[in-house]
Amino acid sequence: MQQAYKYSVVYFLAFSLLLLLSSLLLFDDKMTLSINGILQYYNGNADKFIIEKSWSTILKIILPHIFAFGLFLMVLLHFILFTKHKKSQLFSKLTYALFIVAFLEIFSPYFIIMGFDFFAYIKLISFILLELLILFTSWLLIASIFEF
Amino acid sequence: MRFTLLKDLRQDKAIKPLLNGLLLFMLMYFIADFFVVNATLGLFVSDIKLTLYGNIDEFIDPIDKSVFLEYIHGQIFFMMMILLTLSSVYARLCSIKYYSILVINILMLSALLTLISLFISYFYSQSFIYPYVLSYFIWHTTAFIMALHSLWNLNFATSL
Repeated sequence: MQQAYKYSVVYFLAFSLLLLLSSLLLFDDKMTLSINGILQYYNGNADKFIIEKSWSTILKIILPHIFAFGLFLMVLLHFILFTKHKKSQLFSKLTYALFIVAFLEIFSPYFIIMGFDFFAYIKLISFILLELLILFTSWLLIASIFEF
Repeated sequence: MRFTLLKDLRQDKAIKPLLNGLLLFMLMYFIADFFVVNATLGLFVSDIKLTLYGNIDEFIDPIDKSVFLEYIHGQIFFMMMILLTLSSVYARLCSIKYYSILVINILMLSALLTLISLFISYFYSQSFIYPYVLSYFIWHTTAFIMALHSLWNLNFATSL
């Protein structure tokens, strides 16, 4: 990889860290990192003046995220193709894992408002797993760029 | 990206207009961003202070925490995508080794400083608004010059 591209990739990873941090703060601000918080956010709570979310409200939130997740994961994962991991099992497993977890993170709110409270666990676990998998992918890239 | 693999971009009749279009739209984005930021957060210290912290005397509320987090979350995503694309195009079209690396470093560091200082100025200290404003103008100016330089090299340079 050309030296200037390496810089671009490293900075892209720095922006990714900021994106993860801001998403964590947003998640915590809106729902708190708890099952009760997630259920209250989507199903509403009259005592706390939290309005329940409708199908269209959730759609407005997830619409930009569907495109953004797809683009971000594709860009992040395609950098792996320039490393020694490009033909490894790890790369294909990581690709499937990231896209499946992202899918669950995006669409689990619909199951929560349909009454399947269990999906609050899916929402929380998939969110944390997504953040960790992105961090792991970033670590693989950093390790390849700086060769350690 | 195909443009990173081609030997001479000026000889490729398919890629050249594509890159011209991309760079022109990037220039338009940088100009439009000034107006949008001016209308939302503010471009200068006094306007930004008013948006972030409000003013009791003028009955202006400070920006809501979730609104601020949504704003900065969106900004991070847009900036990372546009700056990655611009720096890749620039590295390919203006490949004077040390000069291009220096310019890319200035662009990326100032962009990162913009986001971090805005974040700190909202949650911790008002004084970070000054580095925010400075770094915002630096990354915008650098990005604008990089896009113009890339356009020049794509259309008028003798060889790439």
